[in-house]
Formats: sequence, C-alpha cells, structure tokens
Amino acid sequence: MEIDNDVAMQDVTEERLDPTLDEDASAELHDGANSSEGPGASGIADHKASKPLQLDAGNIGQLDQWIEHLGKCQVLSEEDVARLCKMAVDVLQFEENVQPVNVPVTICGDVHGQFHDLMELFKIGGPCPDTNYLFMGDYVDRGYYSVETVSYLVAMKVRYPKRITILRGNHESRQITQVYGFYDECLRKYGSANVWKMFTDLFDYFPITALVDNKVFCLHGGLSPMIETVDQVRELNRIQEVPHEGPMCDLLWSDPDDRGGWGISPRGAGFTFGQDISEQFNHTNDLSLIARAHQLVMEGYAWSHQQNVVTIFSAPNYCYRCGNQAAIMEFDENHNRQFLQYDPSMRPGEPTVSRKTPDYFL
Amino acid sequence: MSDNLRRALLSKIEKADTVVKSDLNLCSTKTSSATSRAMSDDLPTWEDYFQTNEQVSLKKRGFSFNTYFSLPRPEQIPESSENQSVPIFIFHHGAGSSGLSFAPLAQSLTERLDGSCGTYTFDARGHGSTAPLNTEMSETPDYSLKAFVTDFQELLSSFYMDHLQTLPEKLKITFVLVGHSLGGSICTNAFQGIDELLRKKVIGVAMLDIVEEAAILALNTVDSFLNKTPNVFPNYTSAIDWHVQKGLSRLKTSAQITIPSLFYPTASGKVVRKTNLQTFRPFWDTWFQKLSSKFVSLPTSKLLILAGDENLDRELIIGQMQGKFQLVVFHDSGHFIEEDSPIKTAITLIDFWKRNDTQNVVIKTNWTKKDSPVTLH
Repeated sequence: MEIDNDVAMQDVTEERLDPTLDEDASAELHDGANSSEGPGASGIADHKASKPLQLDAGNIGQLDQWIEHLGKCQVLSEEDVARLCKMAVDVLQFEENVQPVNVPVTICGDVHGQFHDLMELFKIGGPCPDTNYLFMGDYVDRGYYSVETVSYLVAMKVRYPKRITILRGNHESRQITQVYGFYDECLRKYGSANVWKMFTDLFDYFPITALVDNKVFCLHGGLSPMIETVDQVRELNRIQEVPHEGPMCDLLWSDPDDRGGWGISPRGAGFTFGQDISEQFNHTNDLSLIARAHQLVMEGYAWSHQQNVVTIFSAPNYCYRCGNQAAIMEFDENHNRQFLQYDPSMRPGEPTVSRKTPDYFL
Repeated sequence: MSDNLRRALLSKIEKADTVVKSDLNLCSTKTSSATSRAMSDDLPTWEDYFQTNEQVSLKKRGFSFNTYFSLPRPEQIPESSENQSVPIFIFHHGAGSSGLSFAPLAQSLTERLDGSCGTYTFDARGHGSTAPLNTEMSETPDYSLKAFVTDFQELLSSFYMDHLQTLPEKLKITFVLVGHSLGGSICTNAFQGIDELLRKKVIGVAMLDIVEEAAILALNTVDSFLNKTPNVFPNYTSAIDWHVQKGLSRLKTSAQITIPSLFYPTASGKVVRKTNLQTFRPFWDTWFQKLSSKFVSLPTSKLLILAGDENLDRELIIGQMQGKFQLVVFHDSGHFIEEDSPIKTAITLIDFWKRNDTQNVVIKTNWTKKDSPVTLH
C-alpha cells in the first residue's frame, strides 16, 4: 500500500482514493502488503471460541514464559505470536465497546514502541497485576520496539484480563502502521509481514473506549458529533479497520480545542470539540471527566476545558527527540486523581536518530 | 446523447475555444521555446495543460515572469454547489525546477473538478522563461527567500487583479497555496504578507516534500548532487530520459512536459540547463530558516505531503502529534511529488480544499443542539 496520511483519507468527489492507485506501472512499488491482504488474512480469528478464554495451568505457564522473555525486550517467535494473538482474540472479542473498568486504576496514554519507557512506566506506577492499568492506545509506530511493546501488552492482557485494559488508538490500524514504522519493523524483525498481519487483525478486536467506575470516560482521541451518549458507542460495530470517517474514526482521532463547538480537525480526520461540547457530554452522561491521549503534551499530562478533559501522554522524549516528559494518572477508590510524571529511562545503546540525507536539489 | 457524452463534447469545444483566446493573449511568449520545441520534437506543450501562458512584467521586482494559468469555467459550475467555493490552486516550484513542474497536477485537478477550479503557476526568478528586466537584476540577482516571497505575493495580486476579479460574482474564489520543496518554504513565508483581501481567501497551505532539517542536510551535500547533474544534453529526449532514470521525474509523461522547460536549445541542437544552481549558493542559508516552526504555527489549514519515508524533524513531529497539520506520505513517489504522483496529489489537494472550505461547511451532528456552524480557523 502506498498512500497514507496520518489521517484517514476522505472521500474525494465521487471516488475514494484507491490505495493501490498506480500512477505508473513501471514505477518502483513500495514493498507493501499487496496480495492476500485485508482483514482476517492472518487467520488468527478463524476459530474464535464461543466463550472467553479460560486460563489454566498450561496456558498460564506459557504466558508467564512469554512475558518473562518479552520483559527482556526480546521478540517472540512468529508461531508464538500467532498463538498469543489467537488467545487474545478470545479475550478481546468478549470485551465491550465501552469496557467497564473498576477503581483503583492507573490510566496511561501513548507508548509508541518505546519499550524501555514502558518498563519505566511499570516501575513508576507499580507492577501489573498489583496495579490495575488502563492504556488508551497507540502502542506501536515511531519508537524502535513496537513489536516488543505490543507483544508485551497483549501478553499481559491475556494473562491478567481483569487487571489491564488496552484500548485501540488511531495507530492500531493497517493503514497508519505502514507509514509510521510498525510494518517495516515487523518486516525487519521477522522477514515477512505475517506478524504485522496478525497484530493488525487483532487490533480490530480492541475495545475503543472504557468507563472507569461509571464516571471517567476514557478513549484515545475524543468526542464525535455523531455520539452524544455513551450508549451510542455501545451500538457501534467496532470489529473493523479504523474507518476514514464517522463516529468510530472520530473517537480515535478528535482533539479538544480552545474554540467552542465542533471544528474541522487540522489533522484531516476526526473533529475538534470545544468546552461547551465536553461539558454537555459529561453532563448528559453523568461523567466527571473525559480522559484521552493522542496529543503530545510537554508535561506528560494537560488539563483542558476547565478540567472536563485531561490529556495523558506516556512516551517520554517522544521519538527520542521531542524532549517531553511522560505521565500516567492514578485514579483511586475515592476518585482522587494523581499524576506521576517521568523522564526517559536510562539505558545502554540509546538509539540515535539517524536521518538519511536527501539526494536532490531543493 | 448521454449527459456524459455531451459534457465531453462541450468541454472539447470549450478547450478549443480557450486555446484560441489564449493565443490572442500571448505576448512575448509566442516565441517561447516551448512552442518552437513542440514543432521539432513532438512533445507536449503548455497548451495541453493550461489555458493561458502570459508574461507578466513586474517593474518593481525587476523581472518579467513567465506564468501559466487556467481559469474556472463558470458554466461548469452547477447551481447546486452554490455554497461551495471555487478553488484556485496557486503553485510555486522548487529551486532548479520550473512552473511547468505542476502541469500534470494542474491537469489532474482540472479534470477531477470538471473545470470548476483554477490553476496558476509560474517560473520563479532565475528559472525557466522568467527574465530580468534590467542589468542590475541580471548581474546581481537577489535569490534570497524574501525576494522569492515578494515576487510570489505580487504575482498573486496581479493575477487576481487581471484575471480573477472579472469572474462572475457568484463564484466564491478561494486559494490553496501549493509549494514544492523551496516553493513550500516560499508559500509558508508568503502567507502572512499576502494582501489582506486575498489572504482571507486562502483556505490552506500545502507543502510538497520539504522538511527543514532534511533540507539543510541536503544543502550541506549539494555539491555532490551538482557534480552528478549534467547541464548539457544532446537533445530534449535524452534530457528527459536522464531525469526519468535518475528518479528526478519518475513518470515519463510528466517528464516530457516538465523537463524540457528547464533547458534551452543551442544552435548545435544540444540543450543546456537554464538555471545555474550555483548562483543560488549565497542565498541558501535564508531559504529554510525556522521553516518547520513557521509552518506549524501558520494561522491557516496546513497539509504536508512527503515522498518516500516520513522524515519529520522535531518541530514537525511535535506539531503533528499535537494535531496542528495534516500529514500524507506517498511511499512510491520521488522528491518531485507533483510530477511523480499527480493523480494522488490532486485527490489529496481536493480533499484538503473541501475539508477546509469553511465558508459554508456545516458539521453534521445528532446532538440535541442544532447543527452548529463550523468554527472558522
């Protein structure tokens, strides 16, 4: 596939931009996943169970072994990823579009393949399963360890399904991961796109929002002009690639804004929503807060809309060069909120950002 | 006769009509190399892509600019689209290129919008068939960013005064500024200084394959590029073939219109590159300074299209991750996106225009409040 955008492509005149649109048959094509493509091609969801995965001594041992391995930032074999993803389907398919989450819980934002910083996060927030976690998406892309990061979180999810919740972000998408690194990383680490296919097929099953103790609405992006109530989220069919537009797209793409009302998003997907919108949504749904991620905030968290909305970003020094702090939010039984900020983990062999010099005049 | 057939016939008739008109409009360009070349080499000419080729002398700027444009065809604009603006795409090429770099993209836009748009491109100073008006400009030319930016602003004003003002009033004109490479920097830097009346009509700025950090890297190693780049070819065809082979214009159909405009023929039949890239050297350090932060903070809608891999610099990553602009990546395109991927670029630009055509857009909502008017950016 050769086109992307960090934005979903919109309808244009009568036609949708065909991702396989070939301007020149002789042009060198990106080594994309062009054949045997499409949702479900990996087969991880071919034999779904009719009830949630039951943990027993056998699969617990297996999962613990994987988690230990992944904890050292080592990838699983392709066969093990397939087994893990199949198990994960049988956990995630039974979760709801609005997954209920109990307090206390620690709420986290974007991770983006920064595996060592994720380990730091668990040090700061306390190990899982002792601490309950809710991640609001964007596990892959941009960082150098997307495979390890998403494998680890999925393994934890399967092992401790009631202790950790993993929502879908806009980067948990076939289209976006082909531009921002996860696809290339899978090719590099496995020699084929199979693992990428498995994970992107699995992403379709991730819940898209969570509701913490019926009071805090958590999601990756923000509100949608087509979603006035939490119940309307429950009616969506989420088991699909992130659409280019519409309510599911908006939930993963929208941003709060200083301007009131709905606005066109500069991102090219989703919308911006003002304080009036957030207040109305929280009032209508009897919520105290909307917690979301999606935007880089230099302190790791940022309030907006007079504390109707909080943004949480958990990838410190994003892309190894943005210089931002990261944060997570602890939300306790009494609905007290506490932010824990942290800096990048120290580690040997810190990746240096190398940039290819362009070979053209300007 | 089917509607489609009728439309096709009508558009052919109109095209023939406009070509005749544009011939009348021609001034000094009648003798332009493009025309004479066509006779000899059977290559496409500007007339296949634009309605008009016009030399515009801006005395204050000291140059006679070679411009190409097509105006929207009012009769093509259906009554039902009253609320939609008519986009005029204003292009600026990069260093060493020429206005015709946008010919295939302009054609693609016009086709896709059924003629209900305008396109405008020109050769910047030091490029193509734009020529100095006086010896000062020919001997000590100014190729600073500011000089390019002011040219661009004044050409836009002059285009509006001469050709857009006279369009029927029902056409609500909007501008989309589209710059490739250095041209992207010029569009970004030009925005704030555009005549206020016109600036209000600009609904967005699109930059094609330009990132400040990468551009500065490229300038540091530009000598090796220049050493590998011949300035003389036996004929137009070999110049075209070389550029296609080197991936500097990957689509042959695009290269056939864009590459010849970079060369002039000599008596011996050889063709020689018009632009001497070395003459720009003293001005390079002005071209991309703070481009990323300027782009991110532009008070209008912004689109960045990159070729190959996403290679944002720090400012752009932060801006993108804060949702400040739209990023699109064409994996299979070379640096000259408008030449390599004219169709995808057209589709992306049309989408960008539609989305940001805020004049009358209403965001549909099922919330209990009534449809809210869109927030003007």
